[in-house]
Amino acid sequence: MNNSLIEITQLSKTYDMGGNNVVHALQDINLAISQGEYVSIMGPSGSGKSTLMNILGCLDTPTSGHYLFRGTDVSQLDDDALSSMRNREIGFIFQNFNLLPKLTAVQNVELPLMYAGVPLRERRQRATEALGRVQLAERSEHHPGELSGGQRQRVAIARALVTRPGILLADEPTGALDSKTSVEIMQLFHELHEQGNTIIVITHDPNVGSYAHRQITIHDGRISSDKPNENIRLAKTHS
Amino acid sequence: MQYTENIQIALGGLTDHKFRSFLTMLGIIFGVASVITMLSIGEGAKREAIAKYKDLGVNNIIVREKNLSDAELEEVRARFSPGLSLADAEGILAVAPDVDRVVSQSEQTMEVKFADKSVRSTVVGVTPGYTDILNYAVREGSFLTNAQYDGRLKVCVLGAGTAHALFGKASPVGQMVKMGDQWLEVVGVLASKTVFTETVGELAARDLNTDVFIPLTTFLDRFPRERLLESEIRQITIHVAESDKLMETSRLVTQILDRRHWGNADYNIVIPYELLKQEEKERQIYNFLLGAIAAISLIVGGIGIMNIMLATVMERTREIGIRRAIGARKRDIMAQFVTESVVISITGGLIGVVLGITLSLVVTLFTDITTYIRLYSVIIAFTFSVLVGICFGYLPAKNAANLKPVDSIRYE
Repeated sequence: MNNSLIEITQLSKTYDMGGNNVVHALQDINLAISQGEYVSIMGPSGSGKSTLMNILGCLDTPTSGHYLFRGTDVSQLDDDALSSMRNREIGFIFQNFNLLPKLTAVQNVELPLMYAGVPLRERRQRATEALGRVQLAERSEHHPGELSGGQRQRVAIARALVTRPGILLADEPTGALDSKTSVEIMQLFHELHEQGNTIIVITHDPNVGSYAHRQITIHDGRISSDKPNENIRLAKTHS
Repeated sequence: MQYTENIQIALGGLTDHKFRSFLTMLGIIFGVASVITMLSIGEGAKREAIAKYKDLGVNNIIVREKNLSDAELEEVRARFSPGLSLADAEGILAVAPDVDRVVSQSEQTMEVKFADKSVRSTVVGVTPGYTDILNYAVREGSFLTNAQYDGRLKVCVLGAGTAHALFGKASPVGQMVKMGDQWLEVVGVLASKTVFTETVGELAARDLNTDVFIPLTTFLDRFPRERLLESEIRQITIHVAESDKLMETSRLVTQILDRRHWGNADYNIVIPYELLKQEEKERQIYNFLLGAIAAISLIVGGIGIMNIMLATVMERTREIGIRRAIGARKRDIMAQFVTESVVISITGGLIGVVLGITLSLVVTLFTDITTYIRLYSVIIAFTFSVLVGICFGYLPAKNAANLKPVDSIRYE
């Protein structure tokens, strides 16, 4: 248990909607994720998986329970410490990429390093390197508007990787992509996992979930199943 | 660490919405321009006033005989006042400790003629040392000398206006001019002086350029008094060594003259420096009002910036969410948006400075209002515009920083 990267105990999240209307988005979640795991969190919409992702990604704090990240209780951190946590430990990958349209690809990738206080020269070098890892080195001076969906998502992945975070947290990473491009992105995830990255993919799509080595399912704010994936879908290089 | 990035982002925003940015800046532009213009007009008026009083001498006390009617004159003489006299001047110089020089003058207005030309001038008989305590510059020849005074010579120095009226561009020095029934030789011409357009204290406004100066001795010899009971001289100008002794000395002068004139107040005392100070005080209130009005337009400009920044923050909720998700702290977001409003206000401020300077020059060029731009007014206006950017950018930036990352990242 002690070598867990993430350790969640008795975690709940409730929303007070006013009056006596209280929504239990998450109830009594217990979860441990170790370094190097490839986990999918699946569930229909409204199941609470987005709330879980927000908490895992330090964007939100739980109502009760504990969330330990490398032994630090995230639920006790203030806003600045949470920002710093997101900056250093979480690499977000969103469904709609969330790149800044006015910045070039390399500037987008540099952004987390800027907030980490990395000097410009080193920033540029590390960002270029990260773009190289997603095979986009030649596109570094393009703006997001000049890139295809798959390329944009790869820029976003480079941005997530550039700070060498503890986990890559992907929220429906292929939701805005066609099936062929989706497979390419999942192939990239597979490679990143092979290289030792911890990956958590949140999705409603069983196809996307089937690439992960461990599958967690959420229903009505509770974990309904948490088991190793017996049929790991092998991502193959498509030509 | 990220100042350069913030400035780049802000400049990017400016150039992306050129027209909108321009409209936003307009308030600041006019605010800064009006502060500079108002202050330059105020400064111009101040300098003009100082120049005017400098002509009268800031260390001088002027004692001038009142303009009395025949009846009044008879009355004061009946009460034993001899009127202003050279003896008064000598008495003041002897008794008042801070007075270092005194000059006396008498005047008559008459036609001064040369060849077929004639001009109405004030002929002023003066004692030596006149140009030492009054601000007169000689353009040509020289002013009256002690020898000419002692010798009661028939010589004169022409004011620039009279010289021009009689001689045009030719040199009057050495020529003979006729005033009254006397012929006098021109020995010098004065440089042109500021024209008085308004009354200074008890001194009537007149054009000093039409004066003609002759030795007082000659004046008393050659020009008989216009009225029988008239005083010997019309004016005594008293020079005080230290300007902070002016009030004290003027009280002493009043005492001396009171005694010598048997309590008859047949003279006025004017202290140009005191008038200057008083005028200055009045102008300060006026300038403060002008400045306040201009400052209000700067504040209105600031509200314009705040308005547009609030809209910008709304528009860019998603961007703020993204930045927060990848690690921007609240203060990073604050800094970014405050920088943006400061960049707007600085740009507006710079344009305003240029416009303000241009306006001041235009005012001087097309009206008879003198303007003078002092560096400090430009600095004040500009600094104020930057402060406006910070103050009015603070609230929108605070709003931006307080957006919850969870909500803003999914904002459509």
